[in-house]
Amino acid sequence: MEDMLEDTVLVNLRINGRLHELEIPAHKSLLDLLREDLNLTGTHMGCMTGHCGACTVSIDGRVAKSCITLAATLGRAKITTIEGLTQDDGTLSALQQAFWDNAGFQCGYCAPGMLLCTVELLETNPDPSDADIDTALAGNLCRCTGYQSIRRAVKAAITTTKEGAPQAAE
Amino acid sequence: MGDQKPETEGYVGQSVRTIEGRAPIMGKATYTNDINFPGQLHAHILRSPHAAANIKSIDTSGAEKVAGVVRVVTGAQAAEYIDPIPHYIDPAVFGGRSATIRCLALDHVWCFGQPVAVVVAEDKRTARYAVSRIVVDYEVTTPVIDAEDALKDDSPMVVPGWDANMIMQIPFGGGDVAKAFSSADRVVKTDVKVHRFSTQPIETRTYNAVYEAGTESLTLYGTVQNPHPLRHVLSKILRMPENKIRVHAPVIGGAFGMKMHGHPEEGLVCFLSKLIGQPVQWVEDREECLLIGAREQVHSVELAVTKDGMILGLRDHYLANTGAPSSCPGWGMAMLTGLTMPGPYSVQNLDVQLSAVVTNKPGWNASRGYGKEVTALALELSVDNAARELGLDPVDMRIKNFIKKDQFPYDSPTGLIYDSGDYEGVMRKAMDIIGYEDWKKQQEEAREEGRYIGIGVGFELTPEGGTLPGTLVAGYDSSTVRVAPDGSVRILTGVTTPGSGNPTGIAQIVADELGVRLDTIEVVQGDTTTCPYGFGNSSGRSTIVGGGSAAKAAIEVREKIIKVAAALMEVGESSVTMKDGIIVSGDKTIGLEEVCYACYTRAYDVGSVIDPPLEATAMFKPGLVRHTPNEKGQINPYPSYSNAAYVAISEVDVNTGEVKLLKFSVAHDCGNVINPILVEGQACGAIMFGIGAAMAENITFDENGRQLTKNFMDYVMPRIGDVPPITLAHHDSPNPVNYKGLKGAGEAGVGGSAAAVVNSVNNALSPFGVMMTETPLTAPRVWSAIQEAKKAQPQRKVA
Repeated sequence: MEDMLEDTVLVNLRINGRLHELEIPAHKSLLDLLREDLNLTGTHMGCMTGHCGACTVSIDGRVAKSCITLAATLGRAKITTIEGLTQDDGTLSALQQAFWDNAGFQCGYCAPGMLLCTVELLETNPDPSDADIDTALAGNLCRCTGYQSIRRAVKAAITTTKEGAPQAAE
Repeated sequence: MGDQKPETEGYVGQSVRTIEGRAPIMGKATYTNDINFPGQLHAHILRSPHAAANIKSIDTSGAEKVAGVVRVVTGAQAAEYIDPIPHYIDPAVFGGRSATIRCLALDHVWCFGQPVAVVVAEDKRTARYAVSRIVVDYEVTTPVIDAEDALKDDSPMVVPGWDANMIMQIPFGGGDVAKAFSSADRVVKTDVKVHRFSTQPIETRTYNAVYEAGTESLTLYGTVQNPHPLRHVLSKILRMPENKIRVHAPVIGGAFGMKMHGHPEEGLVCFLSKLIGQPVQWVEDREECLLIGAREQVHSVELAVTKDGMILGLRDHYLANTGAPSSCPGWGMAMLTGLTMPGPYSVQNLDVQLSAVVTNKPGWNASRGYGKEVTALALELSVDNAARELGLDPVDMRIKNFIKKDQFPYDSPTGLIYDSGDYEGVMRKAMDIIGYEDWKKQQEEAREEGRYIGIGVGFELTPEGGTLPGTLVAGYDSSTVRVAPDGSVRILTGVTTPGSGNPTGIAQIVADELGVRLDTIEVVQGDTTTCPYGFGNSSGRSTIVGGGSAAKAAIEVREKIIKVAAALMEVGESSVTMKDGIIVSGDKTIGLEEVCYACYTRAYDVGSVIDPPLEATAMFKPGLVRHTPNEKGQINPYPSYSNAAYVAISEVDVNTGEVKLLKFSVAHDCGNVINPILVEGQACGAIMFGIGAAMAENITFDENGRQLTKNFMDYVMPRIGDVPPITLAHHDSPNPVNYKGLKGAGEAGVGGSAAAVVNSVNNALSPFGVMMTETPLTAPRVWSAIQEAKKAQPQRKVA
């Protein structure tokens, strides 16, 4: 890589509000870029085939599987990872708090996907039905909870959001 | 929870959120894969593409030429430096055949995916590429894939030198089986075929080994359920003393048995780091993770029954296809299936025999339920089949045969001693909370509309806290409780967590016993250098023995604090109370920090009444276990017997065979509950495993033994829409000897819930006469069963 033998692309990315100008090898996945180069290890590797959702991030407001997304294709994209949900002072978003309070995760490995998919759901549909929740989270496998507490956590987040609790940090 | 109020006003019994949960929800938890050391190297493994072959030669020169490759190692080269992997549970301890297992194959491979060579490179992509440049000359031999074929006289041998493809045959049981069968009104035979499926945590296995030449010591960071026992195994493989090895398990992303050790990659990365002198990491990919299977068993259950449904005797000679030999503890699951027969049923005439067969499929590892889930599947499908044959209600037949609640402690015919239970009460509660009778009405109404709703029940007896003599599967564990001069508390325990929440449960227990606030407690687990010797996470044991030992240690420390507090306040010890970190005697109050500081700093005056530091280590060893064989040579490896009843409501589309689950209930007896929301999470997670097992999860092979299941499109696990609403209730019969009456809550439920699903589908399709006893119930299989039943019974009128 030092010899620049690899094809690279110069890309501007905004990740969790911070601008990065990076020369990225063409083959590099967004997952590897986040984890290996930017130390954003909250985004997880589970399958590398886009089936489990542990690597989910938000790209320009839409969830995406970072393991099957080439980082070099994301010029000018605005990316949010799980780390971007917490406010700078460490305050959890209402959604994170609801997941924690309701045991919406156990081992936490699938949490990036569950949280970011719920963020997108609630932005487009503030009052989702059970079926809407199931559809929004259909791309994300959880092996611990049996999903019951995840549904409960999402509903709790809706309730606190309606009551005017602080929203997720940008 | 349930019918019971929490015992005290303290933390035990409360649904507090996990103390360890903040980091994961922020994306800040450190899993093994997140660790990256300076000079980090990456390993990639070349695996056998054949199920059975002799290795004639390996040419690694192509890989060595790849820029960025640091080292390429074959099995023959590795064998110069490292020894075979000791068995987690050696079959030889139980009189079985024991194979020599190496980290890399030497001259013969016995399964698809077996490690053959390894490349270490500066980055993972280079390592992966270089592996493709290794050329192996294989002489492919005929594999044995099927367990029945493996037992034929002309079968090739999976393990060179063995005279049979058998780890062992073990009989379980007693009584007068011949008499029971001859005096029965009917003998109902049910062939239950359980397929190969796996636990598949979302975090795959990862190991990162760091060798320090200066101290000749090694640290393995890894996805490890049992750090101390693995340290022992590594010491044998690496020819190093245990005191030079540290095993550290960071946050684990689910385990379910998969991360119990014996895997070749554990010793391999340690050896490579030692060889090269740099940190070496290996990350399992999903295809590799799917190689690890379990539970493929063929049962042939015969129930000798009276016409009113009493079970007089049970016979089941079953085959377990355990795949190729492995040092992981998976094969032992097959043994536990037999030992747990006849589950919750009061049947003393029992003739059960295991044949644990080796084949050229990849080996097993431990999987949630550890064989006891297959007991539940085999029994519960058989009982439903018998009830149908006899024209009885399946619930009535179960209740008729359950061990009664006044019969505990109960001696099972296999030598187990069941501690406590109210199986009928558990079953009735599961039915009540789902509205069983109401669903029966709905079923009738639906049938009139041409819709097929099914109601199925399943019961699972899940012995917990298992301990096997002569192995590092121990029944006891230890914890240290330390209180610092500032009053903050640190618990170090030998048990570990796969993410299930037991650190919080243990902290709740200590908060109450010590009398401090929960948020002042920190729990440290999973590190052989800082934690007391312990046996980690398995068999629903962590809160039983981790909590029990931490409670004992906390009580010792509390006594010291109270003594010094009394001295400071100049009052009698007996008048002093401590709760939430506030120490009170009459109208005098003193803070915990002031007392703790005095304990450390005033050892020659008020603190002289105790020996500092404020620290104690205690061990908890549950009772009821019997390792000295009885007159029949039987042992009881379990101190507690959790149990649960499951009810599944499903609807089958008879035109497509598609099954949709509508509702689920569980009534659970795990003893007293420390944290209801966490116990509920365990129960619901296990039910999801059972649903996946019954419906879709399946690992398949071609006729040459090459694995076809490679990713999550092949291995279909339940997604959120596949799991119906679950209603849970507790019906607790506390364990008479364990701390707080705990029975274990993490493992139970896979088999009972899977059986409930299968029974519900059979119930839905009873108008067609369908009785499926082979899992999984995929739509094509269900559809085929309907077509076959229609052909077999053309005279039967169906809507």
